Amino acid sequence: MMNDLADRERFPTLTTEGQRMLDFLRRHPSAPVFRNASGNRLQAHEVEAQQAFEREIVDAPIDATPGIPPPWVYPLIARMHATVPHYRQRGSPPRAFNQVAPVSRADLSADIAQFVPDDVQLERMIQFRTTGTTGHPLLIPSHPVVAARYAAFHKRALRRLGIEAQHGAGQVGVVLLGFQERCFTYVSVTPTMGESGLAKLNLHPNDWRDPLDRARYLDALAPEIVAGDPLSFTEYLTLPLTHAPRALISVSMQLMPALRMQLEQRFGCPVLDIYSLGEVGPVGVFDAALDGHLLLQPQLYVEILDRDGRPVSPGTAGEITVTGGFNDCLPLLRYRTGDFASLRPSAHGPVLIGLCGRQPVRFRALAGWINNIDVTHALEPFPLSHFHLHQGADGNMSLQVAPNAMHYAVPARAALERLFGAGTVVVEVLHAADKTLQYTSSLEGSQA
Amino acid sequence: MNTDYADLAALTRRLADIPAEFLGEPSVAGHGEMAVAAIVGDVLRMHGLHASSEFLGAFQGRSAHTDRNRLALAAIASWLLADEALIGADLPHPALEDVVGALVAEMAAITPAHAFVHDAERREELVRALLARLGLRPLGETPAQAQDRLSAISAIQRRALLAASRQAEKRAREVREALARKLAAESADKWTRE
Repeated sequence: MMNDLADRERFPTLTTEGQRMLDFLRRHPSAPVFRNASGNRLQAHEVEAQQAFEREIVDAPIDATPGIPPPWVYPLIARMHATVPHYRQRGSPPRAFNQVAPVSRADLSADIAQFVPDDVQLERMIQFRTTGTTGHPLLIPSHPVVAARYAAFHKRALRRLGIEAQHGAGQVGVVLLGFQERCFTYVSVTPTMGESGLAKLNLHPNDWRDPLDRARYLDALAPEIVAGDPLSFTEYLTLPLTHAPRALISVSMQLMPALRMQLEQRFGCPVLDIYSLGEVGPVGVFDAALDGHLLLQPQLYVEILDRDGRPVSPGTAGEITVTGGFNDCLPLLRYRTGDFASLRPSAHGPVLIGLCGRQPVRFRALAGWINNIDVTHALEPFPLSHFHLHQGADGNMSLQVAPNAMHYAVPARAALERLFGAGTVVVEVLHAADKTLQYTSSLEGSQA
Repeated sequence: MNTDYADLAALTRRLADIPAEFLGEPSVAGHGEMAVAAIVGDVLRMHGLHASSEFLGAFQGRSAHTDRNRLALAAIASWLLADEALIGADLPHPALEDVVGALVAEMAAITPAHAFVHDAERREELVRALLARLGLRPLGETPAQAQDRLSAISAIQRRALLAASRQAEKRAREVREALARKLAAESADKWTRE
């Protein structure tokens, strides 16, 4: 049955059916080279607990009112000051939530061990590495149960669109797509869904015997859900596929509306744009009708803080700061994410408006200072997988786009020149293959 | 009062009855309302000591992680020092600065500040330690008795805290090792990867 001891640890509940799925995924004639090995690592009782967790999360209300911490944060403050080394060193727990001094990525990066509670068992601890775009690489402590919980929040987001993930035994549930020179790739099965298949693939031709195998393999797998980011989805669009999944899930980077539209038209299915962080998992899903990202986690309190760490007035933009979460190995107390937005209540729960992956940048335009969101709007018609816009000290603009998007150079330049003036914009090739800072400026006052 | 003696029972009672405003949130990096530098400056002035701005600058919190507990204890110690009998004792100024500076920093490094209010043994420990630094001893005790009792009450606590500190270092090392294991790096299934 199973190959070795490591495989038994990767798939503790594997059945003959599950083994058959792994064999299919690994031995298909068009299969890529799998660079790594991984698995669900869930024990039998954890599979049942995960199923219960999914039932609970899928439609649990998020009743947090922006600006008012929910009651569960107070026992969390007390528990963390008793069991988390970083907070124990701060002394007695503060009496009011607003008195808790926030922490940042730099604090976690300095020594992540100081943020792991004393009662977390270490035997089955796993880690996820995040790099981000602004430095401070992080190792995120996690656990197989925590990793499995992601699915609950994706199912919650899918359900809003009337989609229930159904694939089970003998079918492939989820394919995760990367498009990088080097990528962590492997196959697995999902025990909460009848051991349906899961594959993490790299669409970069380096990983395939024949680039045409990419479409053959994906069609053979016929996954119900395909997850990726704007880079891998841009490549996915180029493949001669016949199979269309029931939904696409995009994470990691801003998904431009034109690329979303292309994907929806090509595959005839919805594209979920999820705001997700390695530190805290899926935070929100974009909803066009709400004009922002609707929060997804009932046990994650989201607030918006100003530069000095004070809550902003309702509707004002500031740094997204989170408390709680589902990662028992890294509970968070007022963690400043480094991402920016404003928060607005809605009938469906709080919504992040104008999400921006880092400190907003102002550009000097014809009409005076404008926010980077105005630039995003100007570039909306173009399905750019990623781009970088820089304003030099002389006020001139440089837009860098991926090589395969250079055919949008002329209209994109025209769109920007409407904001910045004729002859002030150049469009160049962006050579970075991964996440990049979208907006930068050398002008004084650009960070105001 | 005799300038060499202090009323231990009265001072521990004073500590137990501390007003809530001395247990507030120390102002650290824009959080918290209690201005500890002002409290320390005021109490030292009651003793006739005009502390330098450099000395008081140490009570302006910059990091919750490193300063918050020390400042909380500095406020508690200030309440003790504002005791009328102590003010009347004509205490040496360097010793007063040593109490709110070095002694508070040492004690805050290992114990949550509010334990020195809520726990009877810790209350006695703080009062005894403070008196020793000020060159006073509890009424009715010889210098040797006072020293023995302070050592005894501190030693148990210090042993426990030393063990806790060693345990904390061991735990942090184990967490780092667990994260570095090959199987940890292999990770586990998530539906999406950030």
